[in-house]
Amino acid sequence: MQVSVETTSSIERRMTIGVPSQEIDKAVAERLQQTARTVRLNGFRPGKVPMSVVKRRFGDSVRQEVVGEVMRDSYVKALDDQKISPAGWPRFEPKVMEEGKDLEFIAIFEVMPEIEVGGLDKIAIEKPVSEVADKDIDTMIDNLRRQQATFKSVKRKSKKKDVVNIDFKGYVDGEAFSGGEATGHQLTLGSDSMIPGFEDGIVGAKAGDELEIEVTFPEEYHNEELAGKPAKFEIKVNDVQEPVLPELDKAFFEKFGLAAEDEESFRVEVKKNMERELKQAVSTKVKNDVVAGLLEQNDIQVPQGLVDQEIDRLRQDAVQRFGGQMDFNQLPKEIFQDQAARRVKTGLLFQELVRKNELKADPAKVEEKIQEIASTYETPDEVVTYYGVPENKAQIESVVIEDAIVDFVLQQAKVKEKKMKYEDAVKAAQAQQD
Amino acid sequence: MNQERIYKVLLGPHVSEKASMAAERGQYVFRVAPDATKPEVKKAVEQLFNVTVEGVQILNRKGKLKRTQRGFGKRNDIRKAYVKLAEGQDIDFLDVE
Repeated sequence: MQVSVETTSSIERRMTIGVPSQEIDKAVAERLQQTARTVRLNGFRPGKVPMSVVKRRFGDSVRQEVVGEVMRDSYVKALDDQKISPAGWPRFEPKVMEEGKDLEFIAIFEVMPEIEVGGLDKIAIEKPVSEVADKDIDTMIDNLRRQQATFKSVKRKSKKKDVVNIDFKGYVDGEAFSGGEATGHQLTLGSDSMIPGFEDGIVGAKAGDELEIEVTFPEEYHNEELAGKPAKFEIKVNDVQEPVLPELDKAFFEKFGLAAEDEESFRVEVKKNMERELKQAVSTKVKNDVVAGLLEQNDIQVPQGLVDQEIDRLRQDAVQRFGGQMDFNQLPKEIFQDQAARRVKTGLLFQELVRKNELKADPAKVEEKIQEIASTYETPDEVVTYYGVPENKAQIESVVIEDAIVDFVLQQAKVKEKKMKYEDAVKAAQAQQD
Repeated sequence: MNQERIYKVLLGPHVSEKASMAAERGQYVFRVAPDATKPEVKKAVEQLFNVTVEGVQILNRKGKLKRTQRGFGKRNDIRKAYVKLAEGQDIDFLDVE
């Protein structure tokens, strides 16, 4: 077997492999003999089919089969000899494939790129620094109360944040249009769920009032026939309800699963939750920055084979998310290309960082992480036993390693701390995830 | 014998253990039309396969009588021809089958 490797690009290799004809002919003959023993042909007793007939009948297909196997086998062997580790599957191109001649073929495949992770010190990371202020807690508690608000009918004029129960009928050019009519519609004033002007027109109305308002559909309205047109609505207000915020009492605290006796301890609990969220938000933000920075500083070429594998995984995920009734091969590959390439690149860069800097999962940290996860479950012991199994533990270890990588990059990167308000910090992390 | 008849005489090769043994001594076996004669077979083989025929033997094989619940059924009879070719000639049935 002769092998020669050609480097066609930084990651693509062409390997020409020659296999002597005797080897193949021998394999073919062996295979034919086996077929002769087992095949059933009309006119012949089983096992009594003469070789000449078998050869004429099955010669070509057996040969094809054998050649395919020889290609795969010798490809694997050649890789072993040459000490090349490919990424993804090879493509075979036969060069000479006739009987009696030496088989020659080319295997085209991609190898893992040689990665040099550099530019760590050029990565700029903005680390949000934020604290949970008393005012933030106030806002949070306020929000919580509003979520739990109950509504009470009132006789007074409606104002913003009230909920009104209305019947309405809309006319465009003096004619009623479809979808422009409803009875008993619950509308929160100031929620901007209707077209602009509609809710404003109702503000100030009392229960039992009947009024007419004129509004104009916005230009970019989803119904093209109505977009930009003036419309008249006849509205009958059935009821006006004002929100009543619940008292900060024990019953209210219990709704959120917090065992708080009075407002003071409730605030402490809320603060704890907010701080946890903030910490998480900051670490996601920093991690995303690290990944983005690494990719920016290290523009590496990745094997399409790996990207294709990743695309398949993404497609499977996507199908599962949508109910999984579809064959994932039907999804077009192109839409996942960028995302997959990004993921593969990130994976390779991380791997290289781990290898080069000998980052390891700190067992103490792994343990800590498991405890942390377990504490959020009702039965922490079971969770701890679950992660005691090596395969499951590996998941946690990979998370810990990831953190270690981020820490490592952070030590070298230009980290700029930036003061932010609590809300902004949480939002910044969310915005990046999308 | 006209050209049309030539295409009607030979029905196909007969493939069996016996036929492949016969092929080794230069005799090829055909299934032929029930009314084919030796001279007809000879001419047809010579023209269709571009060979020289030395001799033809013909036989009739009666179809088996099969009995079912509904009575008797008879399989079709077959007329076979053993055709001896001149020394060194052969017929490759691959493209005929």
